[in-house]
Amino acid sequence: MKLEVKNLKKSFSGKEVLHGISFSVESGRALGLLGRNGAGKTTTIRILMDVFRANEGEILMDGKTFVPGKYQIGYLPEERGLYPKRKVIEQMVYLAMLRNVPKKKAIANAKKWLERLEVAQYENKLLETLSKGNQQKVQLASILVCDPEIVILDEPFSGLDPVNSQILQEVVQELIEQGKIVIFSSHQMSYVEQFCEDIVIINQGEVVLEGNLDEIKRSYGKNRLVLKDTERTVEEFSEYCKQQLSDVLTVNGQTKEAVIVKLAEGKTRRELLEKILAKNIEIEQFDTYKPSLNDIFVERVGD
Amino acid sequence: MRRFSTVFQFELRNYVKNKSFVISTILIALIIGVVMFVPNVIDMSDTLGTSIEQTKEEDKEDAEDEEEEKSRYGLLDSNGYFADRSLLESYYEDVEFVNYSDEKSMKEDLEKEKIEAGYVVEDDSHFRYLVWNNHMFGGDATVFQQVMTVLHKQIYCQEKNLDFQEISANYDAPVEYEQEVLGKDASDNYWYSYALVIVIFMIIVMYCVMIATSVASEKSNRAIEVLVTSIDSKYLLFGKVLSGAVAAFLQVGIILATALVCYQINRDAWGGALDSVLNIPTNVLWAFAMFGIGGFLFYAFLYGALGALVSKTEDVNKSTGSMQMIVMLVYFVVLFQLDNVDGILIKVCSFLPISSYSAMFVRIAMGNVEVWEIAVSFAILVISTIGVGCLAAKIYRMGTLRYGNPISIKNALKNLKND
Repeated sequence: MKLEVKNLKKSFSGKEVLHGISFSVESGRALGLLGRNGAGKTTTIRILMDVFRANEGEILMDGKTFVPGKYQIGYLPEERGLYPKRKVIEQMVYLAMLRNVPKKKAIANAKKWLERLEVAQYENKLLETLSKGNQQKVQLASILVCDPEIVILDEPFSGLDPVNSQILQEVVQELIEQGKIVIFSSHQMSYVEQFCEDIVIINQGEVVLEGNLDEIKRSYGKNRLVLKDTERTVEEFSEYCKQQLSDVLTVNGQTKEAVIVKLAEGKTRRELLEKILAKNIEIEQFDTYKPSLNDIFVERVGD
Repeated sequence: MRRFSTVFQFELRNYVKNKSFVISTILIALIIGVVMFVPNVIDMSDTLGTSIEQTKEEDKEDAEDEEEEKSRYGLLDSNGYFADRSLLESYYEDVEFVNYSDEKSMKEDLEKEKIEAGYVVEDDSHFRYLVWNNHMFGGDATVFQQVMTVLHKQIYCQEKNLDFQEISANYDAPVEYEQEVLGKDASDNYWYSYALVIVIFMIIVMYCVMIATSVASEKSNRAIEVLVTSIDSKYLLFGKVLSGAVAAFLQVGIILATALVCYQINRDAWGGALDSVLNIPTNVLWAFAMFGIGGFLFYAFLYGALGALVSKTEDVNKSTGSMQMIVMLVYFVVLFQLDNVDGILIKVCSFLPISSYSAMFVRIAMGNVEVWEIAVSFAILVISTIGVGCLAAKIYRMGTLRYGNPISIKNALKNLKND
């Protein structure tokens, strides 16, 4: 299955908040939907779920118009909430039955997922008596009861302790391996890097970066290097590069330990290396720059 | 349909599994049931006025009065009209009249509450009534006026040398009449119509707010986002409103049925004392049920839509305030026009869906109404209820994911148009 979102535009009371969002996601691959607060992620997801109608654009599933009602979708919204005064199992079965799952199967699935997420002992407790983390797990379990083909997780890790995060990570990994379409929205970049092969970064209603995460990282590293010498501090070395090596590179920034540089137009790594040797620099690190997703994100959407 | 029934069952369980809901229903029904059986166990004929010795209501009042102390009234009668007290005593049985010679001392005694009221007789056709605090129903002056009228006649007869007994016997000859009611007897139907108008008003005010709160609660606890992405929102709204309606009618129905059935069983023991309220003809009950349910649903959908316009349950009252005013207005109009059920105001109200639930019902119970009028009014009610239901579902859909300040109805409709 391949889900394609094409050129979505959406206005609220005359103000356009999405200016043409496009991306695609396939079965068995997870897509990281990234963006700052208010970038338009949730609106995009809601259009996908047919809560809002887009002013323009279309959503296709395997080339045909996507009708959310035809598929089982597990949607974990960022704003969590179920019925505090109802029993855990009761509301899980209810939510599954709303999605046309027969009652018997709903009960069996609910028990299975509560077991899997290690909250089975709360089955007959009122939801409000559970801790926040356990309520989160119940909510996640409740969206999986319908055996979704598409799973949309909006900030699934917020509020979970490291042990619970570990359980959830395993579950997400399993879902991906089972060939589900997984759309994953989070601000915790480390999780996105761990699960997602593809990413989309949305900024102010526009896609600013889209594609395979490895390729993006590689292209970011292209022509960029990290340098370090043994004699100077990072600041001193950065200053030195600016003064002495400006014909072969420009200084791009620095990490805690090294200086990030970009090769000047038309220069090769060999030329840079020769120059470094000629200057008699005690080089300690000469490497391709591999940005973290965090770096890419900040660079793309930071002010 | 299956999804609707899923929502309906889930929501209904909210009420029937709610302990306070169940307990209050059973408790009220039980209390009413027990009260209805009381005359079988305890002799209540005195209180009810049904014992054989004292059948007349006046006697009952007298019996009660005897237990109280005699009232004391002041009298300033400078002309000596009441030297013979027999006339006064025939009108005031339990009153002791204290003579005064000047107004000042009478006023002082009034202030000290030695006497309850005072009469200053100026001449045979004028008197003044003095009282410290005038009560709402202080009607003693009218009795004294009657005494004075008789006195005036007596004096006139004396002056003209006429036989007072003969004149009064012929002049004030009692004229007897018998009443035959060919249509409906409003005096018979008045009290239970009155009671049922109050009942349906209370049902709407109490339960519709409950429905609005239940709609708002899902926005409040944020379950709405998962819900609207799982199921068409109109099933959600219809499920919620109808389950609320069923819960309301279940509760009211149980209580009302207990009252009516238990009264019928014990009607002889009560001596028919509560006939005016609890002996309701079946056709009136049917009209009440049909128009009551229709009107309730009409309002329930409106309240449901209003509940969808707010994001916190605390804001429900703010949002439903204007609707409460309309319900109140209808209630007062119908209640004040209850002795004029064939008037134009009630006629108009009996066709409007916002008021037909009580206006048409009182017309059926007490007024002249054609069958086609009932049919047309009911059809209008049903059609507008369905219309309001669909509109409410749309408002609900639109309002569900708009958080923040309550949305005004005007803006809601504007948004609907734009969508």
